[in-house]
Amino acid sequence: MAESSSSPGPPSRLGRRSRPRSPEAVAERRRSSRTEALGRRALELSRFYGGKIETVPKVPVRSLRDFSLWYTPGVAEVSRAIHAHPDLSFDVTGRWNTVAIVTDGSRLLGLGDMGPEAALPVMEGKALLFKFLGGVDAFPLPIRAPTPAEFLQTAEAIAPAVGGINLEDIASPKCFGLLEELTRRLEIPVWHDDQLGTAAATVAGLLNALRLTHRSVGEARTVLLGAGAANLATARLLLALGHDPHRLTLVDQRGVLHAERDDVDELMVRNPWKYRLALRTNGGGRTGDLVRAAEGADVLVAASTPVPGTVRPEHLRAMARDPIVFALANPVPEIWPDVARSAGAAIVATGRSDFPNQVNNSLVFPAVFRGVLDARARAIPEEVVLVAARALAAGAERRGLGPSHLLPTMEEPEVFPEIAAAVADESVRLGIARLRLSHDEFLERARALMGRPLRLVRALARAHLTPPMPRGPGRPRKAA
Amino acid sequence: MTVEEGSASSPPGPAERAAAPLHLRPATAADIPSLVPLLLRLKRLNEEFDPLLRVRDDAPQQARAILESQIADPKALVLAAEGVGPDRDKLVGFVRAIVRERPFYTPEFEGVIVDIYLLPLYRRRGVGEYLLREVSSALKAKGAGVVTAEFPAQNEIASRFYAKRGFRPITLIHARSL
Repeated sequence: MAESSSSPGPPSRLGRRSRPRSPEAVAERRRSSRTEALGRRALELSRFYGGKIETVPKVPVRSLRDFSLWYTPGVAEVSRAIHAHPDLSFDVTGRWNTVAIVTDGSRLLGLGDMGPEAALPVMEGKALLFKFLGGVDAFPLPIRAPTPAEFLQTAEAIAPAVGGINLEDIASPKCFGLLEELTRRLEIPVWHDDQLGTAAATVAGLLNALRLTHRSVGEARTVLLGAGAANLATARLLLALGHDPHRLTLVDQRGVLHAERDDVDELMVRNPWKYRLALRTNGGGRTGDLVRAAEGADVLVAASTPVPGTVRPEHLRAMARDPIVFALANPVPEIWPDVARSAGAAIVATGRSDFPNQVNNSLVFPAVFRGVLDARARAIPEEVVLVAARALAAGAERRGLGPSHLLPTMEEPEVFPEIAAAVADESVRLGIARLRLSHDEFLERARALMGRPLRLVRALARAHLTPPMPRGPGRPRKAA
Repeated sequence: MTVEEGSASSPPGPAERAAAPLHLRPATAADIPSLVPLLLRLKRLNEEFDPLLRVRDDAPQQARAILESQIADPKALVLAAEGVGPDRDKLVGFVRAIVRERPFYTPEFEGVIVDIYLLPLYRRRGVGEYLLREVSSALKAKGAGVVTAEFPAQNEIASRFYAKRGFRPITLIHARSL
């Protein structure tokens, strides 16, 4: 944020202040030492287990003789059949349920460009989530692809092996072009979680927040702080939902994004996605900083810098009555929820599970992939993303929609097969599904496939095939 | 140049021309304060395409001096693009061109478009077409038998814009640092 350098930062930097330090900020210091402890433990366990996933047979193997069925000579007939009808690969191999998690490691978590090897533990974790939450077999696939052309070529080359591609942790704006181009080239769904997953979860939360405060997307005035992968995708989804572009304002480190900002031609060359939004949004031509942008706004979605104080009470006080504030930076939000509420926020959401209203892509990607894989869809168009967002928003109602229950949590597993079925239905409706089943069939299938992994991990543990977790040291060990 | 590619490839008729959100006229000395920032925007855009096009610190002074001399020079052409309606008093773009002699070739005089710039919101909608037509006829009036355009080799948007309107590369300038 441009203005954060010249203005009050986190309260701790200011030393003595009339206002007491936020209890959440105090709690956060405790949390950050906990985060360090978790990091040590994760490294220890990763070494102990030697990674997080493995491949497991799904057919009986009674003796080596069965390999004449699973492998040569029997398998040759399976190959011939696919050769005659390539789409048969979705019936007679695991392709129907397989996703590649492809990254170049160029924007790993909040760590920056860490390279493909360092991305592997994260992608393994993602694969575990895919399996555990979505029942999807996912391959972690960090690739060394320094240029977009190399990335595209590699992703295209591996597409025959999978039913979908999940792009992950790729730097913005490179990620936009890769997603667009792969979607254009491939006949399988391609998704970039940092754009679409986060944006769909955000939009779902916003739909409910607007409803709770008696507003509509069409009339809302919205400010998006941060113009990276997540917020640019959120902007596009909001516009697709009928948000008035003139009432939408993006703000980044250089202030309000507008058509005559000094760097707008640079954006045209380097980030046409952001350039197009610079031209379309911010009617009335606001310029300046977040305070100016926030004036009269109903909604503020920050997906920017993980520094509390990036969004400040004065920003919220400039907003309309009952402002909606999503502070989505991880691991720490741009403003603590208690600070936001005392500054008048009616509804607050963050990216964290330890506050109410967690906006998290794990609410979206397992169900979306379950849905597109079950329909054997050829792509994930915007309509499908919007259907997922709406289904997620509707899912919150099952246990009662409220200011502290904007979105379902991961503890509400009954919601996710419904999102998957809605996604599959929409793929059928759009004519991009290879497999057209009824809603009930999709729902049953999603329930079965999404419910299975929990039984699987429990069975593996019971059979001692997954060794129990070794006890932690309790306290960090002193260096020898 | 930053006239972004328009969607219409056919020459716009009078109706479209009337709908163009700007109006082109010869620049005067009074326009210079508004023209300098536009010219600098264009040079900073060029900077994006090649490190050998890095903008000098004294570029604003240079811009002012060059505009002053060329506005007065009959061999040069500086056109200012004014907005219409509520933007009537605003300069939203400009074109700068020079007439250069070709001692060995015919046609003998070449009209070189050195700068075309429009603010983003005034691009497209057939505006580039209109600008090109106006500047071409003004250059022709100054004796030019051929119109050329200079822009960074890596600027594919400009390349496509001109290619679509019948331009082709005739001279390439290759560079190397010393």
